[in-house]
Amino acid sequence: MSEQPTLEINALCAGYGRFDVVRDVALSVGKGEAVALLGPNGAGKTTVLRAIMGLVKQRRGLIRIGATDVSALPTHRIARGLAAIAPEGRRLFLDQSVEDNLLLGALHLRHDKARTQTLLASVYDLFPVLKAYRQRLSSFLSGGEQQMVAIGRMLMSDPEIMLLDEPSVALSPVAVDIVVKAMLELRKRGASLLLVEQRTDVATRVCDRLYVMTHGEIVDQMKPETIRSGGMSILNKYLG
Amino acid sequence: MLQFVLSGVAIGSIYGLIGMALAISFYVTCIINFAQGQLMMVTVMVTAELASSGYPVWLAALAGVACSCVVGILSYVIAVRPILLSNRFSFGWLVSTLGFAVIVENAAAYIWGPTSQAFPPILNGISLPIGGAVLTAQQLLAIVTAAVLAAGFEIVRRHTLFGKLGMATAADPEMASAIGANTTVVAIVAFAVSAIYAGIAGLLIGPSTFANPYLGDTFGTYGFIAMMIGGGTERPIAAMFGGLLLGVCAEGANALINSQASDWFPFIVLVLILIVSPKGLFSTSNPLFRPRRAAVTRG
Ligand SMILES: Nc1ncnc2c1ncn2[C@@H]1O[C@H](COP(=O)(O)OP(=O)(O)OP(=O)(O)O)[C@@H](O)[C@H]1O
Ligand SMILES: [Mg+2]
Repeated sequence: MSEQPTLEINALCAGYGRFDVVRDVALSVGKGEAVALLGPNGAGKTTVLRAIMGLVKQRRGLIRIGATDVSALPTHRIARGLAAIAPEGRRLFLDQSVEDNLLLGALHLRHDKARTQTLLASVYDLFPVLKAYRQRLSSFLSGGEQQMVAIGRMLMSDPEIMLLDEPSVALSPVAVDIVVKAMLELRKRGASLLLVEQRTDVATRVCDRLYVMTHGEIVDQMKPETIRSGGMSILNKYLG
Repeated sequence: MLQFVLSGVAIGSIYGLIGMALAISFYVTCIINFAQGQLMMVTVMVTAELASSGYPVWLAALAGVACSCVVGILSYVIAVRPILLSNRFSFGWLVSTLGFAVIVENAAAYIWGPTSQAFPPILNGISLPIGGAVLTAQQLLAIVTAAVLAAGFEIVRRHTLFGKLGMATAADPEMASAIGANTTVVAIVAFAVSAIYAGIAGLLIGPSTFANPYLGDTFGTYGFIAMMIGGGTERPIAAMFGGLLLGVCAEGANALINSQASDWFPFIVLVLILIVSPKGLFSTSNPLFRPRRAAVTRG
């Protein structure tokens, strides 16, 4: 672990109004590593991801992706190959087709047709159903399929770090399984993931390390093995 | 009957262009630029000035539209962006774009004087008999130009990456920036395109109204009515349909009620349509009456 982590956050404070929603957050994601951020509703998990994307105006502290300090970069610069997000609520461009949503994800690669096509093929490889539906308006898709588009759109910018905000929320067990397998496949392809989850089982299946966040602070860090061998009760205490 | 429908369609396509101009900037930024009529006026005044000092008409027209474009971008940079930066949910742009309109109008009146000047004829003197009615070449030009610009806008919006980016920015500006769009640039382009549409409308109306610094008031209002009755706040092209309907109503009122009726009849039509169908006639919803989504502010 001597090399630089893909994502490094230190002393991050971020919020919306008069006071900070998250305080003094430190976390890191190594290259090819998958890390989960667990915590109850309102803990500030989404706020951490939004701060990484530069979507929270009020942020202080260090956020580094690879060698680049992104803590003062505007969102659209961060989105050009450094970080990409499959956000809470998916936020697809519902009045556009599946393929247009995916291609918009590769906006900064628009002059590199070959790379865009390779990425598009890799998304269709990951989610074959999207290829069949590629001309369909994305608002006509099921929740699971929409989540696949959101993840696909995130992949299309070929980012250093992928941020996923509760990709399993409100999905059927089958769809959750597809999403989990997709994340495992991404890991095989060498991606670095930061996964926000409410579902501990999903996080432990996918991730190498887990951070626990409550009331805007990181309160614990553990390994999936710890949880499997009885650490569940500690976790439940945090998650309420 | 045929005569007022034809001339209604001709004037309506100009109202429709101004309506579309308003709708294009609203579509991407959720801002109504109340200086839109003045952007049209800038083209008319600059074109008249240059043509009367001896430049070829096409060059004068081009320079006129270019000036509108610059003033349109300035209206965003000066009157809109600072307001959204301080609070993106603020309605301060209502006042600031109106203020910008007053400044531009008075500057024009100061430069050119408050009276009308000649506007170069573009296709005057030619007319085409259609059935029992007559359409001047000038009117035909307005109809064709409006059709091309309306269709062209739809094609670009739906079939080019930039158009799709505009749609994405319109639907969810924050997510658009999270896929790498510089939403400030997208907004500036929207204001520039919208100023070009207004400027072209000015070129089409100039030969009939002559060049007057207060032209923007009337036409800005008619453009606004066109956008509202068409439902252009949701789909800019609906403003064109609204404009055509407005033009036919106004000309019809002139022909069937009395020659002053076009001054008040369109407002009755507007009120009736907004009572029956607040979203406008050619759209499924009116974003003006919805809670505002996050507007374009980051840069
Ligand atoms: N746009 C906003 N403006 C003001 N406060 C906000 C905003 N978004 C979130 N908050 C507040 O910040 C706190 C943390 O929110 P956040 O969305 O980060 O939590 P979360 O951990 O993602 O929760 P959940 O699991 O429910 O998604 C909450 O108290 C919330 O009310
Ligand atoms: Mg959340």
